[in-house]
Amino acid sequence: MDGWTGQFLRVNLTSRSFRIETFSEEFAHTWIGGRGFAVKILYDELAPGIDPLGPDNKLVVAVGPISGIPAPNTGKTIVAAKSPATGGYGDGNLGTRVTDQLRKAGYDALIVEGRADRPTMLFIEDDRVEFLPADEAWGKGTMETNDWIYARYGKGVGVLNIGQAGENMVRYAVVRSMEGRAGGRPGMGAVMGSKLLKAIVVKGSKPIPQAFPAAMKTLGRDDLRTVHQMDKDAAWSVQGTTGVLPWCNEVAALPVHNFRGTHHPDAWKVDGERVHAARVATYGCPNCTMRCGIAIPDDEGRESELDYENVGLLGPNLDLFDLPQVAALNYLCDDYGLDTISAGSVLGFYADAIERGAVAGDLRFGDAAGFKKVLGMIARREGEIGNILAEGTLRAARAFGHGSEDYAMQVKGLEISAYNCKFIPGMALAFGVSPIGAHHKESWIITFEVKQTTRGSYGRDKAQKIVDLQRIRGGLFESIVTCRFPWVELGWGVEHYPTYFNTITGSDWKLEDFWPISDRIYALMKLFWLREYPQTDRSADFPPAAWFDPANVDAEGPIAGLHLDREQYDGMLQHYYDIRGYDTRGVPTRATLESLGLGAEAATAEAYATLR
Amino acid sequence: MKVTVKLVGGLVHTLGFSERELELPPGTTVAGLLDAIAIDPARPLIVGRSGWAIDLVEELREGDRILVSPVFSGG
Repeated sequence: MDGWTGQFLRVNLTSRSFRIETFSEEFAHTWIGGRGFAVKILYDELAPGIDPLGPDNKLVVAVGPISGIPAPNTGKTIVAAKSPATGGYGDGNLGTRVTDQLRKAGYDALIVEGRADRPTMLFIEDDRVEFLPADEAWGKGTMETNDWIYARYGKGVGVLNIGQAGENMVRYAVVRSMEGRAGGRPGMGAVMGSKLLKAIVVKGSKPIPQAFPAAMKTLGRDDLRTVHQMDKDAAWSVQGTTGVLPWCNEVAALPVHNFRGTHHPDAWKVDGERVHAARVATYGCPNCTMRCGIAIPDDEGRESELDYENVGLLGPNLDLFDLPQVAALNYLCDDYGLDTISAGSVLGFYADAIERGAVAGDLRFGDAAGFKKVLGMIARREGEIGNILAEGTLRAARAFGHGSEDYAMQVKGLEISAYNCKFIPGMALAFGVSPIGAHHKESWIITFEVKQTTRGSYGRDKAQKIVDLQRIRGGLFESIVTCRFPWVELGWGVEHYPTYFNTITGSDWKLEDFWPISDRIYALMKLFWLREYPQTDRSADFPPAAWFDPANVDAEGPIAGLHLDREQYDGMLQHYYDIRGYDTRGVPTRATLESLGLGAEAATAEAYATLR
Repeated sequence: MKVTVKLVGGLVHTLGFSERELELPPGTTVAGLLDAIAIDPARPLIVGRSGWAIDLVEELREGDRILVSPVFSGG
């Protein structure tokens, strides 16, 4: 089967056993790989209602047919499980050498089951699997753990590891790899920790099966060069994603003071120009020629790798405009293995809740030392507050009460990325209908919305654009598994990706052939949520009340006096459901499921909930 | 008339400045502004005035602050 190894590796930590399984070409063509494989495996194998932090949850590490093949930005891997943050389907991607090493070891996915009886490191080398003690690394941060693994195996191996946050099952702990890569925002690191799985190390020696390897080698090499030149011409990597910060500030989309504000006169102090000026190193993922990991020294001289999301949430969102201090918070998050987006939102929410009297405490906005201290408490689940905040903003708000859920900046239990949608309806909807909780990776409509539509409109065009972007970003890219950046940042044509797919798999697919598969993947993610939350309704797809609140409007600036309109948002949400073939609850109809080839999955879902 | 142009991202490095006040003839359009700072208008850009996008044909006004940015995807 060209393009796929045709094998999964299933490992059980409880019994310390493993099994190599095969899958059919039909399965490969139905689900492609990556997120497609992950959601199908988890839907079929997880009983609804299981504890995401218990041994019944499974961690899926999956790659796709173009993963690891030298071509623009193909170094990504998907990590997925039932999410401890949301209770629904959760996943994320990260750049890692696991991508090519897992393929070379002979697998398109690794499925980790059960729970080890002691801290464990899984070592996979081709057909061999070892369950190694990791007591020595348990309790250590991701930086030291990574060094510990490199010292043992060298830097050529693929590594996934967790820090203290994962070990202590902080619900927004991530999986980390290499010098600065992280993924799995909805608590994939906590799932590893719940299994006492400190690290996964992968080493492979087999060729990755390809239909036309010589042609792909030439194509991939030439396209890597072209993308590199495009990046040089555009100067995109000079600031990486931190270049977006001044844009958000100018258009009033920056999170400031727990999303209360949308812009700030001091934002320039932490923008891309300042990050670039402070740069001491640049990091990137495998097979990437537009590296975006810009490292600067933090307040203690430690290298901290920044991007827009972590600067936005750990900087302006906390009223911090001192770049080395922002870098320090980012370093701590990375070392603890905390998601920087959720961590920044949790800290902002906590300071806001104190300021508003919902909870007693001495943390204040702008208090870098205080934020550092609280991050440590969260990672260690130290004391009552550390424990509550380790649960994320939604659960923390429910613990604090006093209406604080209105300003817990999350959707479905996952914190919103660094785009303040107080008056950006389409991007608010993109967060609302993201299938893993609020995340920007599925559909980043904000520049389209500001440039090509009336900013304050709630039309069907915005809902359609979200679906279009989800099909490309969340469907195509997350299943063939590649980074979206060459396409979104440099305009590298999306038509290149079917060419790679066809050259590797020997297929003759057109771009539009991927859309039904993307839709199938999205529909199955929805069914996963439905089984977990049978009483779900469309309110689950609404952003926080703060964005609709007339009392929360900006007093001055580009969107002074403006806020989202709940009724019009609801209308735009209905457009989204109509385009997708979902019912008024936001659940795929039986007819939609059958048209996507999900009749059998619909039948199993009906054992738990009603389909219309 | 005086307008301020604010560049972001890679444009800062390709054009060599971040923010600049320009003296332009009355009636200058956005396209004229881009020409004045030597940006190819065919390049994918977002041009905004006070947080709201404006077209290339739109006329500038005294005191405008014009944001010129590449098309970003974020993180």
